[in-house]
Amino acid sequence: MSQKVEETLNRINTHKGVKGIIIVNSRGIAIRSTMSQNETIEYGSLITQFTSKAQATIKALHQEEDISFIRIRSKKHEIMIAPEKEFSLIVLQNPSNDETN
Amino acid sequence: MAEVEERIARIKNHKGVKGLLIVDENGKFLRSTMSSSGNDTAPKQYAQKVTELAKKARSVVRDIDPLNDLTFFRVRSKRQEIMVAPDKNLFLIVIQQPQEDNE
Repeated sequence: MSQKVEETLNRINTHKGVKGIIIVNSRGIAIRSTMSQNETIEYGSLITQFTSKAQATIKALHQEEDISFIRIRSKKHEIMIAPEKEFSLIVLQNPSNDETN
Repeated sequence: MAEVEERIARIKNHKGVKGLLIVDENGKFLRSTMSSSGNDTAPKQYAQKVTELAKKARSVVRDIDPLNDLTFFRVRSKRQEIMVAPDKNLFLIVIQQPQEDNE
């Protein structure tokens, strides 16, 4: 099972522009990360809090809806969040890295 | 102002777009193409909640890097996608139902 996880992480990590990947559990604690500890803690907690707020908002608007994906795009990078029941996958990507070799 | 109208019309006529809202920072309507008939959620509530969430997204971005700023925000759920484009004093919110291209 964890080999598949490693493969997936690797595949995402080697994608163009990806700065880092964090997997947090339902309590917001990072269980895997390709980033430094400080960054992991910072991103992990902020984004987990945000994801809960997003889920509450969507539930308030549509009771049967569940969030499948969130993208927060900023000037410097893009944060992608895929929330699941037991964990959330967070990917940080630099969208401006469009260098065609 | 005609340019704004054109843009709104262009987005509105895009496939799957259920509605478009332009709100100010307080969630107050400036423009809306959503009709409340058939929708289970009033546009006003949508505007307020989504604006709050967009502001929270913006503060996440700024907390991580004070020089950074939110440029776009998308929340996708099973049946629809909510897109928010913030500007200086307002938010453009588009609700779209992801559909298959049947053309």
